[in-house]
Amino acid sequence: MEYKITMPQLTDTMETGKIVRWLKKEGDFVEENEPILEVETDKAVMEVPSFRSGVLKEILVEEGEEVPVGTQIAIVQTEIEKKEETTPKETKEEKEEITISIPQESQEEGQKLPEGTASPSAKRLARELGIDIKIYQEKGLLPIPAHEKDIKELFYKNFFDKDALELIKRYSLSLEEIVKHLKKEKITKKDVLEFIQENNIPQILPISDIQLKVIENLKKSTSIPVFHIYEQIKTGNLPKVEDITLTVWIIKILGDTMQNHYRTRVKLEENIYKIYPNSNICIAVAIEEELFMPVIKKVNKKTLREIALELKILKEKAQSKRLSLDDITGSTFSISNLGMFDILSFDAIIPPQRVGIVAIGTQKRGKTKVTFSFDHRVINGREAALFVDEFKKRFTDTDYLNNLKEEPLNKDLSQS
Amino acid sequence: MLYREALNKALDEMMSRDSSVVLLGEDIGFYGGNYKVTEGLYARYGEKRVIDTPIAENTIVGTAIGMAIGGLRPVAEIMTVNFSLIAFDQIVNQLAKIRYMSGGKITLPMVIRMPQGVAKQLAAQHSQSLERLFASIPGLRVLVASDATTAYYGLKFAISTDDPVIFLEHLLLYPEKMEIEEEKHFSPYRARIKKEGEGITIISYLKMLHDTLKAVPTIEKELDTTCEVIDLCSINPLDVETISKSVKKTKRLVVITEEPKTGSYANEILNKVLEEVFYELDAPPLKIGAEDVPTPYNRTLELASIPTPEKIAKQIIIWGRKHGI
Repeated sequence: MEYKITMPQLTDTMETGKIVRWLKKEGDFVEENEPILEVETDKAVMEVPSFRSGVLKEILVEEGEEVPVGTQIAIVQTEIEKKEETTPKETKEEKEEITISIPQESQEEGQKLPEGTASPSAKRLARELGIDIKIYQEKGLLPIPAHEKDIKELFYKNFFDKDALELIKRYSLSLEEIVKHLKKEKITKKDVLEFIQENNIPQILPISDIQLKVIENLKKSTSIPVFHIYEQIKTGNLPKVEDITLTVWIIKILGDTMQNHYRTRVKLEENIYKIYPNSNICIAVAIEEELFMPVIKKVNKKTLREIALELKILKEKAQSKRLSLDDITGSTFSISNLGMFDILSFDAIIPPQRVGIVAIGTQKRGKTKVTFSFDHRVINGREAALFVDEFKKRFTDTDYLNNLKEEPLNKDLSQS
Repeated sequence: MLYREALNKALDEMMSRDSSVVLLGEDIGFYGGNYKVTEGLYARYGEKRVIDTPIAENTIVGTAIGMAIGGLRPVAEIMTVNFSLIAFDQIVNQLAKIRYMSGGKITLPMVIRMPQGVAKQLAAQHSQSLERLFASIPGLRVLVASDATTAYYGLKFAISTDDPVIFLEHLLLYPEKMEIEEEKHFSPYRARIKKEGEGITIISYLKMLHDTLKAVPTIEKELDTTCEVIDLCSINPLDVETISKSVKKTKRLVVITEEPKTGSYANEILNKVLEEVFYELDAPPLKIGAEDVPTPYNRTLELASIPTPEKIAKQIIIWGRKHGI
């Protein structure tokens, strides 16, 4: 092994040293710590020893020369490793080289982010959306620095037309996904529609509070033990009265019939039946896609015109969503009329806390099919049959019908 | 329940459960503790388990270390964190190191409890927050009790663990009314989300947590966003995971400490979190802390030197407006 002797720093201030005399010649053997040369510093002449034993192989700086501290001045061949003349060099070099292992993790972060001045997340979004921040900033279309919301705004403006954006909002779609999928400069409503259809993406429709209430009530309704009675009533011969629809006739006649059948005026509470004196009837009213059940109270005491007027007011209230709690509570029987949709017949679900409901189909050759549903806990088949029978017969009782038609306002017909 | 009563409850329960739990500190026995944390324990457990010490902090900690080595579970109270500086040789050179230097053969199941922070006109020498010092010493666990829940469960955990724990409390929280929320599985090293939000993540602890929560409604109103407020709970180890997850959601980070800004522990939080979430950020993080001055005695100046709910709100609103909220 070679041991290199350098010009040593012998004093604090020494910068160069002059070689005064070599005490050994090339080829001489040197003991460890044996002086090998004399050096003149800025202060004195000193002997410099070799720190290893070996053979002085080569003198690099001659006597009388002055060299800076650290300069190599001689080479000593150390004895022991003399045999391995070539290999040691290599091992030494290897030692100097540090070995590290770098885990192969994704280096995608931070790489290839668009240029320009923006927050890291804005840059990342811009990269995803393919927006060159720098160019837009040069044009003054993006603020400096740009934040995520600026990139989003720009993106909306540049890539989507207004209708497309509206559609995206309605379907809560991910903009990034659409862009990736469509890869177009400007995305129109048509593109988005195609995307929606292709991926069969559902539209999210929040359920209104009213509808939630309806659902809750329907759930309660399913626990009611129900039986049905199917009948047909003659509605073709009803006297013609202006503004009085078939529904109004049915409400009135049903209300009058209820007076003779107390079980249709019952509210079932835990261990008791509450029998109400008046015929209070609720009518299923559909406003757009929502269902309301406003109540016409004391039908037995009201004339056809009064009922028609009240029904009109209640429908208007439902339309403008101004129905009060009083407007929708207190009935014992219900009517659902789908006749205007040309439905032959159907059966309806009893709203909670009502005895029953009658479902009205469309008028065909002077006749209308009706389906009664009853709560068996309140009314039995016999009583229900008697009730339905009377209801049916009233439609053919001309005296009664004419009486209804001509009755003045506020005439009390409750006992008819 | 008061905050200090939650601490008392934790001490009481641990002492009744384990006879090796002993308390030592200045005036903690007969007098009931300078802040009444140990009230009643002297009467219940006697002078051998609730030990009054001389005013000699280095000795208190040194004695406790000796007790811990000998098999006890001492809980040392240093009257305030300011006086712990006298005990720093024991804390740094012994407490933090013995378990390591013995190759794990010697455990130090002990706690040093102490309050810190700016109270009211206690002047510079008695108003310091020093969590940064403890956090930077490997070998110590450092917990902060910001409310009754973390005070109660945190202290019980600190006493039961075999690691030496520095348990920091806050002077102004002692008389605060709060309840212990029941926790089936309390994680002492997990940060707790005190309030969920979408727009800004705010990290805080001790009294600053309460000031932050007071400032939040104003911030949310002014910036039209919502804040997620996180109680750090543990200073060392730091729950980077919970914070990072929150920042990934909000993309904005604020750290609030009562320490002076320069060199505060907030820097450590920011550094560790930013290494994780830099590319998620939509704004440079904001650090709110005390001014770089010894805490003034004058009340007006004292309040001017530390974060208050008003100052927190103002700084976050200005920062938010500047950075795209």
